[in-house]
Amino acid sequence: MKIFIVIPTYNESKHIKKVLEGVKKTGYDIVVVDDGSTDNTNAIAKPYATVIKHKVNLGKGAAMKSGASYAFANGAEAVIFIDSDGQHNPDDISKFIEKLEKGKCEVVFGVRRIARDVPVIRGMGNRIGIVLVYLLFGIKVSDLLCGFRAITQAAFKEIIWSSTGYAVETEMVVRCAKRNLKHCSVTVQTIYLDGVKGVTILDAFSIFFDVIKWRFSL
Amino acid sequence: MIFGLQIIALLFAFSMIYFALLHFKRRDIDALEFYSWFTIWILTALIIIFPQILRTFARTFFITRLFDLMVVGGFILVIFMVARIYVKTRKYENKFEEFIRRDAIKNADKSKKTK
Repeated sequence: MKIFIVIPTYNESKHIKKVLEGVKKTGYDIVVVDDGSTDNTNAIAKPYATVIKHKVNLGKGAAMKSGASYAFANGAEAVIFIDSDGQHNPDDISKFIEKLEKGKCEVVFGVRRIARDVPVIRGMGNRIGIVLVYLLFGIKVSDLLCGFRAITQAAFKEIIWSSTGYAVETEMVVRCAKRNLKHCSVTVQTIYLDGVKGVTILDAFSIFFDVIKWRFSL
Repeated sequence: MIFGLQIIALLFAFSMIYFALLHFKRRDIDALEFYSWFTIWILTALIIIFPQILRTFARTFFITRLFDLMVVGGFILVIFMVARIYVKTRKYENKFEEFIRRDAIKNADKSKKTK
């Protein structure tokens, strides 16, 4: 199975080199989507990967969509998304590949140990989201917001998302439920290196309203 | 007799005509748009000066005070315009996103070929 690793990134010059070095060891093609960074993320990433550069910052969802579109247009059968802030361990990529290659799952969700690894407030928000999505869409994914996940080409066509920001992960789960796609989860390690970045409380509110909106619009 | 509130409303209507003219002269809006806005604000000014014009209309909808009719009408208009602006903004947002993404992928392909 031809697999591409897609890394959406924005101003991650501090961490991206380490992430890329880890991912490079897997031997798979790497696509970095630089979502309008103003630092030297782009230059750091170039020796390791194909870099897609958004001229302006559109958001994580848009970056993931560009990366996946590029990968599938260049022969990928599946893509694995991994965050560029170093919170995921590239060694866990093999777990996703195993699930994809067995052919049992079209979408593989990475699941962090929320109680242990995720900051309390984020964990609480995540749990509320899990319950809400379960009640509204009948799908139970133990970590809604983990950016470490994999998707096959067929599934991408089915669930192509419209969220441009941090709502993308939740929208993927919701669309996965709506389309009845075969999905599974793998436990992944998490290390939070940057407490300021990522989903904020405002993003969480916005995602909450998006979930309600999707109940009626999808 | 014209009351204070009417004077304020009239001043507002006339300043909006001035702004419409200004945008027309700067070519931000075309002639049709300018005349549409001009007509809207002249009609508004007429209603402000002769609110009785709306009396029959208000009775039809069982609204006893003309002021209430204007407030309700204003709300409906504002909600309509906000909804329209929302839809337009979303449309432009989607087009913008699509453009940036396509451009990024095209440039990535180009740099791959030149490698």
